[in-house]
Amino acid sequence: MKKSKLLMLSTAFVALASAPLMAEDLVIGLATAQTGGLAPYDQPNLAGLQMKIEEINAAGGIAGKFPIKTIIKDTRSDSAQTAMVAQELVDAGAQLIITPCDADPSIAAGMITQGAGIPAISFCATTPTLPLAVGDYMFSNYPADNVQAAMLAAHAIEAGYKTAYILTSPDTAYTLKLPQYFGQVFTAKGGSVLGEGTFTMGQQDFGAEVTKIAAMDPKPDVIMTSAYEPDFPAFVRQLRGAGVTTPILGSDGIDSPTTFGLGDLVEGVVFSTAGHPTAGSPLEAFNAKWTEKTGAAPDTIYIANGYDLGNIIEAAVTAADSLDPAAIREGIANLENLQGVTGPITYKGTNGMPLRSVSLVRIKAGDRDLVAQGQPDPADIPAP
Amino acid sequence: MDIFLQQLLNALSLGGTYALLALGLAVVFSIIGLINFAHGELMTVTGYAVCFALIWGLPFPLAVIAGLAVAMTAAFLMERVAFRPVRGASGTTLLLTSFAVSAILRVLFQNLISARPIPVAIPASLSGVVTIGPLHLGMIQLISIIVTLAMLLGLNLFLHRTMAGRAMRAAAEDFAVLRLMGLRANSVVATAFAISGLLAGVAGVLWVAQRGSVDPLMGALPVLKAFIAAIIGGLGSLSGAVAGGFLLGFIEVILQAYLPESLLPYRDAFAILLVITVLLFRPQGLLARKTLVKL
Repeated sequence: MKKSKLLMLSTAFVALASAPLMAEDLVIGLATAQTGGLAPYDQPNLAGLQMKIEEINAAGGIAGKFPIKTIIKDTRSDSAQTAMVAQELVDAGAQLIITPCDADPSIAAGMITQGAGIPAISFCATTPTLPLAVGDYMFSNYPADNVQAAMLAAHAIEAGYKTAYILTSPDTAYTLKLPQYFGQVFTAKGGSVLGEGTFTMGQQDFGAEVTKIAAMDPKPDVIMTSAYEPDFPAFVRQLRGAGVTTPILGSDGIDSPTTFGLGDLVEGVVFSTAGHPTAGSPLEAFNAKWTEKTGAAPDTIYIANGYDLGNIIEAAVTAADSLDPAAIREGIANLENLQGVTGPITYKGTNGMPLRSVSLVRIKAGDRDLVAQGQPDPADIPAP
Repeated sequence: MDIFLQQLLNALSLGGTYALLALGLAVVFSIIGLINFAHGELMTVTGYAVCFALIWGLPFPLAVIAGLAVAMTAAFLMERVAFRPVRGASGTTLLLTSFAVSAILRVLFQNLISARPIPVAIPASLSGVVTIGPLHLGMIQLISIIVTLAMLLGLNLFLHRTMAGRAMRAAAEDFAVLRLMGLRANSVVATAFAISGLLAGVAGVLWVAQRGSVDPLMGALPVLKAFIAAIIGGLGSLSGAVAGGFLLGFIEVILQAYLPESLLPYRDAFAILLVITVLLFRPQGLLARKTLVKL
């Protein structure tokens, strides 16, 4: 009796689950991290994307005819698991796959999706070589490392800095390459890099490194690093503790409430990020909408970034006017000047890393002060 | 010379934190032969406790005390719920149990609290700096040196002057004989876990004060370092754990300070290489225990 009831129930579920599939549903497979080291980035992106999907479905689907159905599977922030999940999603009939906020698992998933001819978009991988490593079905959804670096270097030159010190960590492509790209552009524009220090991520000990910087002669005009939590707070605390007052440039990894909680220590730090809610901007409107929906203001730009991924999907499928994965890929690759909440987004003419605007923000009395916004001069962007 | 002294001070501060952590592992290992990889999660629990205590408006010193109390309780509960049922099982079983506890706690933190780091309002006075002649020492580093020394002294007194401490030392020598003497095994093990929780709590507060936030995964790296330190020192030896902690801190800081720039990315590889060299000459660690009898 019990068994047959269970059988009936499960048949009903299967019927329910597959029934909408008969209609023209866009099936998006999410091979992203709910747990592990990437969860802090993937979770807010997913929350933003889900908000957009709800809005689309409430309006009857993309272009009024393609409702979105999502299949979400946890990758545990593990590359092998990400590849496995991607395969499961391809088998389940996904027409578009979303991959985690990092190049390594995205490449692992991309190996599957590229072969299957299904477009994949990483939530926010910033490594510009990602699409080169996978192929023409791989995209990302965030300003690339070399773009952020070019913006920061242009600012450094404009601010009159002549010499720089860069602090890298070989532990990830982001913490290693972004400061090095910065060094390249800074040197090309007439600055010089006095040295490169390194750190181990998560170690929180910068005593030896800071002592070296403090003893440098001549001192650099500016220090650039892509260190983020927990390394950045520990670094800045120890650096200022050693009496070094050199200005610091950072990248989007430090766009977090922890940084703003550091008070005087981070006063004057300038960092790059994916958006800034100027008065009357779409991002300000989005933040208000999010606050109204959830009762709390968004604590990271990744929520708006995830929402923009929804905008990209909507625009690409509308342009393709079809759910054929190859047509959706064409749709994404030809997007030009799409107005997202974080700014204009262009894939046309790129290899899959979008051209997006980067905001430079200065921390002033615990608040944000916009320094510059836009895209760097294409001639300045270093080759990946 | 000044720079060398400054680096020595840096090494002392880093080594002190490692020593505290390694000691927490060693206290438990010496008694029940378990390397508790969930030790790092005790630090995380402490961090969250301090964080929420501050959010609820407790002043910082009280929040720290609350954090330490929560750490000890959590260690005690860990023993009661997860480790007591497998006590006396093979080392592998114990190790896997501790990995499981660690993994479960991390997922719970990520999904019940937040996957993103939560800022902790560390008082501005802790960002200060103390200048001694040409040397600079951050307030937190100074506190960690002082606290480490105080904890070592306190633990030493506890182990040598109190009944519970003597029982723990006896248990580390030979657990079976301890039980034959009529001492309750459970209370000795529980004491060991509570002390290990306190050590994790102190290290956790110092760790969080440095980083300014609590993150569900923040315990992973420190417990790894503590493990290395405990191995260099000789697993199960308390003074060995302390020596191992300071040695590891010293190796890391000196390499960071004096390796040429082109080799710096390989610093950790060099550090581990030196650790292996130590072990080649002293396979049981610096201060190995003579008896390795376990129940």
